[in-house]
Amino acid sequence: MKPDPNDPAWAWAPFQPDGARPWDLRLAAHLYRRAAFGGTWPELQRSLSEGPQATIDRLVHPTPEAAAFNRLYDDYENAAAASAGDGSQAWWLRRMIESPQPLQEQVTLFWHNHFGISNVHVKASASVCRYIQVLRQHGLGRFEALLDAVLAQPAVWICLGARDNGKRNLSDSSIRILMDHYTLGPGSCSDTDAREGARALTGWIISQGELRFVPGEYDATPKKILGQEGDCDRKALVRILATHPATGQWLARQLVRWFISDTAKPSESLLAPLAKQLMSEGNIAKGVEVVLRSNLFFSTEAYRQKVRSPVALALGIIRPLEGRTGTVQLAADLSRLGQELYEPPTIKGWAVGLAWINPLTTLGRAKLAEALLAESGAYGGKLDPAAVASRHNIPANDGGRQFLVDLFLQGDLAPESVAALAAGGSATGSIDARSADLRHVAARLASLPEFQLA
Amino acid sequence: MAQWIPADVPIMVEVSEPKAFLGPLLSPELGKSVTAAVENGKTNPKLQQFQAVVAVLEQQLGTDWRTGLRRLAGKGLSFCVGPSGATLLTADGEDEKLLSKLNDIIWQFASSGADQQNQPETADSREYRGVKTWKLGTNEVHTLLGPRLVLGNRMSFLHQVLDLRADAGGRILASSPLFKAAHDAVGKDAVASVFLNLRTLRETPGLKKALEEDGNPVTALLLADTKAALRNASWLALGAYVSGDKLILKTYTDGAAPEASKWTSFSTPPGASAGLLPPLTVPGTIASLSLYRDLHSFYAAKDALFPERTSGLIFFENMMGIFFSGIDLTEGVLSEVRSDVRVVVAKQQYDPAIGTPATQVPAFAAVLRLKEPQRFGETVEEAWQKAIGLANFTRGQQALPGLIIDKANQDGVNYTISYYRPPADNSSGTVDSRYNFRPSLARPGDYVILSSTDALARDLINAVKQAPSTPAKTPLAANSLMEVEGPALSAILEANREQMVRKNMVDKGDSREKAESDIQVLLAALGHLEHATLTLRRDAGQPQAQLEIRFR
Repeated sequence: MKPDPNDPAWAWAPFQPDGARPWDLRLAAHLYRRAAFGGTWPELQRSLSEGPQATIDRLVHPTPEAAAFNRLYDDYENAAAASAGDGSQAWWLRRMIESPQPLQEQVTLFWHNHFGISNVHVKASASVCRYIQVLRQHGLGRFEALLDAVLAQPAVWICLGARDNGKRNLSDSSIRILMDHYTLGPGSCSDTDAREGARALTGWIISQGELRFVPGEYDATPKKILGQEGDCDRKALVRILATHPATGQWLARQLVRWFISDTAKPSESLLAPLAKQLMSEGNIAKGVEVVLRSNLFFSTEAYRQKVRSPVALALGIIRPLEGRTGTVQLAADLSRLGQELYEPPTIKGWAVGLAWINPLTTLGRAKLAEALLAESGAYGGKLDPAAVASRHNIPANDGGRQFLVDLFLQGDLAPESVAALAAGGSATGSIDARSADLRHVAARLASLPEFQLA
Repeated sequence: MAQWIPADVPIMVEVSEPKAFLGPLLSPELGKSVTAAVENGKTNPKLQQFQAVVAVLEQQLGTDWRTGLRRLAGKGLSFCVGPSGATLLTADGEDEKLLSKLNDIIWQFASSGADQQNQPETADSREYRGVKTWKLGTNEVHTLLGPRLVLGNRMSFLHQVLDLRADAGGRILASSPLFKAAHDAVGKDAVASVFLNLRTLRETPGLKKALEEDGNPVTALLLADTKAALRNASWLALGAYVSGDKLILKTYTDGAAPEASKWTSFSTPPGASAGLLPPLTVPGTIASLSLYRDLHSFYAAKDALFPERTSGLIFFENMMGIFFSGIDLTEGVLSEVRSDVRVVVAKQQYDPAIGTPATQVPAFAAVLRLKEPQRFGETVEEAWQKAIGLANFTRGQQALPGLIIDKANQDGVNYTISYYRPPADNSSGTVDSRYNFRPSLARPGDYVILSSTDALARDLINAVKQAPSTPAKTPLAANSLMEVEGPALSAILEANREQMVRKNMVDKGDSREKAESDIQVLLAALGHLEHATLTLRRDAGQPQAQLEIRFR
């Protein structure tokens, strides 16, 4: 009997490969695409031999070198931000490429999208850079700690339009963003709750780019928020919102959209176990782990059911090819494709899914793939599929083309695309000709509709 | 060599005296510095591979690479780019035996490698017009003609050259009128020369775009008539000359901007008595620029020079309207400024109480002269204070710290400074880049000094007092003169080494080790620059650039 993806018990049970759903290259690559922006050939091979749960263990738990790596990159980013340039976005992209814990970067990007704070409003890269580092630091921890740390960031207050809050409350729209989008989800609180919540945030002002508390400006009269009464200040408001059951349900929905499917509309009952997990453990890492280990994650409801964002597209080319490219140029190119890090277009983040694709961006995506894989030009030919194939002793009987298909698309290439690829002939002559051919093939593969799906 | 080169090559480089031209580059001192830099970057596998190959060749040839290079190419080098990207390099040496031995070693290595890879066709040797030619890989072909090595990337182009050598017909570059004109202009004293056929090259998209009028006022102001002249030119030549310890590079062209045109009117000194003033120098000068630019004439011709009303230009004019209280920019402001414009860039000292920003921006200043300082000086002061006020207002809107305006006195000259307060908490150890700036304005005599720091403003107050007001001893009709001090340039780059490494990492995607190695090589090479002077002048209507370089 075919399992029911809407059955919570089946959906969130850990995936166990069987004859119908064997652990193969397709599923290993699927896991790496969603959790790590893409896997290298050795990572995929190791995953094949270790199985899904052991692979997820490695992806979820920080490696010993991750802390030192993050400290170093914090320093790079801070210095770039302090130098008045936009270099910190470039450093974040490089961090995504190089990180020994790519899931942490995937989750940081998830929260960046969730909170939607944009430097267009903040106009201070250093402040946004600090905020992103907070997302990274707390992104896999307790949600209450994350929300508390986020609400201590000047960038967030500036973006919520509260440069000078004082006794004047946050605007209706700003408090609604905090309650309806950051925490509870739409329709979970009344206008009175929102007004009382805004009073809890009085006294916090932005001065000289820093968030300061002015006790005299704080409205200390009792408040009643979501049924809880008392002298509720910012800390208390954070606790009320972060621990409310509706928040768990809303965050579970966001995690499913991010990690499983752009288009799924999971029922409340399907989300309930995940929401409960998020609330009871209060630990986002546990929730992410449940998602990644689940039957639902490895089901056909999830497989290739997400459109790659521009960042995921570029990293999906770069990481599997074990390369490094100039990320200043990459940041500019991704911006042209609609995803400028540090600058989500609205407080609700980027419009994901099919919104990434239109005739202009389709062409732009193909051009980016071509530029990344070109022998020279803006990216300096740093990605070399032939060198990767050679490094892993891939037999060159077809010039290495099948290796690229396996690395980039596994078994998901449409028959007509396979035929078109074969019709192109292969260069098995000199090393230079083979290298040029594989660059060309890789760019073509990365331009195919199948590759646009994660 | 031009006797064997087809007439249609657009680029030809000849080094007639390699020892004189490449001497400084092959000097043991520079070699040691670069080698030391390379040693630091030993983790780079390509460098390691290159070093290993050089070591093997040195052993087998029985000579060190520097001596070997002199024996193989000491009598002349040439390089040309033919149609469709074909290239050809020739090296004339004095040791035919050594060249033959080197060829044997490389051939043996290449042919055995091709056999091992089961690709024998990638190493090939054939005769053409009685000359043996070799092909190694897909992009290398060469032949030996006595002590001359001819090396290219296309066999067809090499055959074309051998046809011309055998006098089998075809037009040669040496008889091309354009090449001859360029050759005559460069003269016989040149130790090296470059010829560019602009009629051909102008059709390439990159150069075509570069020579277009881009509507950028800054480019128009700095380059004056250069682009207009090159648009009319058939050829451009570069000659390299050695004079004592100096290497001199001069450009020549047959193109000229129309006389008394919009391009020349603002950059042509009226005579020797009103020409270019000497560049100003202060302690720690990195670069100093002196320009003859009649800003009034320049801006009066703006509709012809940069006709596009870009948003940047509109913003600039609006701001100037606010700063100068609505006085007409061309007739009321720029008409008050004399034609000598000088710019100074210098190393700056930081306040130890604040610390040094990670990126050290050198201090920079523009020095102008007013025609009637008594009448117009305070208007400039007012405009400057409005600009600082506006900057403060804008920063305040972004909740950023603003500048405090103050007055100071240097040697009897009152000047206005502005500065940021020290940070309330500098325990983080990171010093914000705003501390690179302490904008200042000084008006000693008829001078106006607009400086990024007060220290440079003070140094310039002293400098202009001692500066002669007579033209510099520059070539006749010079309109631009720039001097660069090698040690100071090296010092500021050294101070920013870490930032350059990091920039390289994100710009190019290099590993930290590779980026450090590249920057080390750059700094080591720059460390040998003592002084450079660039002059732009006009000779019979044709722009000419001259660069003099003195190495340490």
